[in-house]
Amino acid sequence: MSQVRVLGELAVLDDVGPARRGRAYPAAGATSALLLPAAVLLGGLVLWPVLRTMHASVTTDGRWVGAAHFRAALATPGTGAVVGRTVLWALLVPAVVTALGYLLAAASRRSQEGGLVRLILLVPVALPLVVTGVTFRLMYDPDPSRGLATLVATRLTGRSVDDAPQLLGPGLVTVALMSAFVWAWVGLAVLVFRSALDAVPPSLADAVRAYGGGRRHVLWDAQWRPLLLRTTAVVFALVAVGTSRTFDLILVMTPGSVRDEASVLALRIWQTSGGTTTGDGAALGVVWLVAVIGGIIVAALFVRQAWPPPRVEAAPEPAPAAPPRRVFRLLAAGAAIAWLVPLAVLVATSAHGRVDAAARGWWSTTPTVESYRDVVTGTELWRTLSFTLLLATAVTATVLVVALLAAYPLAWLTGPAAQATGLLLLAASVVPIQVIAGPVNEVLGLVLSSGTAQGLALVHIALGVPFAVLVLRNAFADLPVEQVHDARLGGRRWWHTLRRLARHNLSAVVAVGVLEFVQVWNDLVVGRLFGGPGASPLGPFLAEQTRGFVSNSGALAASSVLASVLPVVLVVLSRRHLVAGLVSGGVR
Amino acid sequence: MRPALRASRRTLLRATAAGATALAAGCSGGSRSVQVAVVWSTSELDRFRDVVRGYSPNVQVVSAGNDIDAFLRARHLAGTSPDVAILPRPGLVTEYAQRGWLSPVRGSTEYAVPAGLGELLTAEGQRYGVWVKAAHKSLVWHLPSMLPVQPANWDALVRRTQELGALARRDGGPAPLAIGAADGWVLTDWFENVLADVAPESYNTLARPDADWQSRPVRDALDRLAGLWSIKGAFVGGGRRALLTQYEESVIQVVHTKRAVMLVGADFTADVADPFQRGPEAPVTFRFPGAEPGGGPLIVGGDAAVAFADARGGVELVEWLTRADSFQPWLRAGGYLSPNTNVTIDSYRDAVGQRLAEEMRTPRTLRFDLSDQLPGAFTGSDGVGIWRIMQGFFADVTDGVRASEAIRRATGLLATAARSAGGGR
Repeated sequence: MSQVRVLGELAVLDDVGPARRGRAYPAAGATSALLLPAAVLLGGLVLWPVLRTMHASVTTDGRWVGAAHFRAALATPGTGAVVGRTVLWALLVPAVVTALGYLLAAASRRSQEGGLVRLILLVPVALPLVVTGVTFRLMYDPDPSRGLATLVATRLTGRSVDDAPQLLGPGLVTVALMSAFVWAWVGLAVLVFRSALDAVPPSLADAVRAYGGGRRHVLWDAQWRPLLLRTTAVVFALVAVGTSRTFDLILVMTPGSVRDEASVLALRIWQTSGGTTTGDGAALGVVWLVAVIGGIIVAALFVRQAWPPPRVEAAPEPAPAAPPRRVFRLLAAGAAIAWLVPLAVLVATSAHGRVDAAARGWWSTTPTVESYRDVVTGTELWRTLSFTLLLATAVTATVLVVALLAAYPLAWLTGPAAQATGLLLLAASVVPIQVIAGPVNEVLGLVLSSGTAQGLALVHIALGVPFAVLVLRNAFADLPVEQVHDARLGGRRWWHTLRRLARHNLSAVVAVGVLEFVQVWNDLVVGRLFGGPGASPLGPFLAEQTRGFVSNSGALAASSVLASVLPVVLVVLSRRHLVAGLVSGGVR
Repeated sequence: MRPALRASRRTLLRATAAGATALAAGCSGGSRSVQVAVVWSTSELDRFRDVVRGYSPNVQVVSAGNDIDAFLRARHLAGTSPDVAILPRPGLVTEYAQRGWLSPVRGSTEYAVPAGLGELLTAEGQRYGVWVKAAHKSLVWHLPSMLPVQPANWDALVRRTQELGALARRDGGPAPLAIGAADGWVLTDWFENVLADVAPESYNTLARPDADWQSRPVRDALDRLAGLWSIKGAFVGGGRRALLTQYEESVIQVVHTKRAVMLVGADFTADVADPFQRGPEAPVTFRFPGAEPGGGPLIVGGDAAVAFADARGGVELVEWLTRADSFQPWLRAGGYLSPNTNVTIDSYRDAVGQRLAEEMRTPRTLRFDLSDQLPGAFTGSDGVGIWRIMQGFFADVTDGVRASEAIRRATGLLATAARSAGGGR
């Protein structure tokens, strides 16, 4: 009976919750007005470009050609390997990140050093992926007198300097890229798992123990089945979608001669179409689009739950529980140290001048501030930083306004309409920009010239809105009845209600704001595709400098450090809001 | 029907543009700046700004970076093309001209370039671009102390490489050659130099759409390259390591760490070499050796200025850029080689510049960079086209694959790439 009752908690977790429809619902006219900005943005800059790409993939100059482009694109030598590698990325990397994330989340709970461990793991999450690429390329430098990892590998394998293992060579380059990606993403998985673990009522574990369950049973019945299954699926899907960002890493980390051995669909599409709409590029794009959206919808159905989401009771303080075993705590500490090494390499390289950084390892000469002086006294970095700050602030503010307006009426939908909206928003938020770059450029051409700051901002806004709406909609729908009541009674009009609700949803708003800001700040692809002379943000600025890697390492590392300060500070300071906001909204 | 339709649409566009510019002129008090898009950045960009200041303070120079093609396509789609662009490849000039994006231009009376260069910028008998900057790509760099006697011809270079390679393998001396094989253009520059020497008469035919990339000259050139590249110990750290070495690092291996003796590189190698020079010893150059002593090939690259259709003041600015003294500020600052033979040799501030300019005027052997003339994706980029194919060939021959087999693979890929680039797009 009790055993059943233990599992009976499950039913509570997946309960539909109290009905609370029909309050504070804006009138039809107001609803259309609220949804209009988001609809126009998504329709013009996401939906139409997707349709246009699909059209281009089956036509040549408007003439129907059937599957000819698909056949041509797939028959190009190497496409099979590229598709295979993309799939490998989408399966292997999320599996590793999820497993590591769970392990480290469990190992860093309820121990004194756990907070510090999680803080260290969080820093790479906030770094621009370009900076991650720079960091790992420095570490994997094929010359053992400069590359720390190559030096260690040479010592370990006992090979001569001329025969050093080449982590960036054709054989290992994908492994090298994956290691950088895992480094950057594990922190996020730890964050999500930790909040999921905290949400599991400890009474469950006690009950399992009381009925003679061992450690294994506790893990299975009190952690895995009630909550972690969903969380794992969510983390897996999140990381799988994230692997489409490998583009930045490949561009920065791979020398030209091994780019083919590292290539994935994102890169192949870039190489085939270069930001314009061509038949073959569009065909590859459609293949990718179908795979990404199909995958995310399968994941979403797999982890679907009742809508509106049930209210999870606040978990009682799990204070009396024992900290993890010593071996786990050591694991967590070891991971933290391993995660610090790349950061240390980046900072140490930045503390060397141009000649020192190029000629010998950072460990063999004394640090100077030469590179920082060069970078700071030049005008270029400051111009880029201030432009990016302006861009990211403007985009974040606009996305928040547009998404708050749209999320409010959407939060009151129920049943299949709500599910469908959720899936649509999810699909829109994972459309890879490379696929639709050509049509987006055409749209920008109609509205205002591409290659301008406004054009760049518009694309960022359109790409940021779907996710923001999703998170805020879920957060609104999560609000307890009393708060909705208060807001409804206190606000004379729906916008008063909206403002009050937004205030109650501070965590979700902060999470969306910080994520959007960091996303724009860290972006490379959008800047590459839609930037121009007057609109050159940080990502492309850093990536441009990686052409002369060795001869410019010092200054490159220094610019990377300076560029990373703001996103790291923002993410670290707002980490509690991020978790709360995302868990209440985004990760549903 | 169609041409008429197109003409009328163009007239309409022109009228709209004229209206818009008139409006803009009206708003801004009559002075509208001429916009120039260039590939240059940092110091080169500053130099070019100094140059156009001599034309008018109203010239706005924007740097489009290495992706100038994508940049100009996007601007064209948006209907906001710049007035003038400086393009790094002649293939782009003819491509844009055929699409009707460009307006014909004229050089000034002082404009004269070496034979064979001018034709590269014409389409349907009209001139659509002028050369404004040149690069000398047939140089071998070394420190005098590391190589007392310069090889006089190809065979001497091979012998010297064998000797130095054997020394390097025996007691860890410097490798004979540094090569930035991670950058595909480094390898195509090698290939072009050898090809221009092996088969000077078929060099230019390979740029045509009907080129035969499996022909004898291509195979001979690759065979000669394989003979040198496959020498044991020829490159710092071996072939696999060379494929991960970027061009700038290869310069450092010669001038700073002295792990290699020689480096094939263009005149702009000096820009990288300067900051890494150790002590008073500066690197020197000799011409890329050919089969005959003193008769090496001469490959040049260059940047061409074009004016966009309906641009205001574009054609005039392009014409002004071809005057003999327009680029004086850049000449005085150094790091600039003029394609214009009417620029006096005395304008170059140093002896090296003077000698390179002199060499450019010997018409006998001058060839324009072949890979820059190839169509579509064949022209090469990281992981794409002829860059990738030459890197595959380099990997094969340095990895012990027999030369005949490596050549068969490479020519097969070249032929396929040429076909798909010529047919599509």
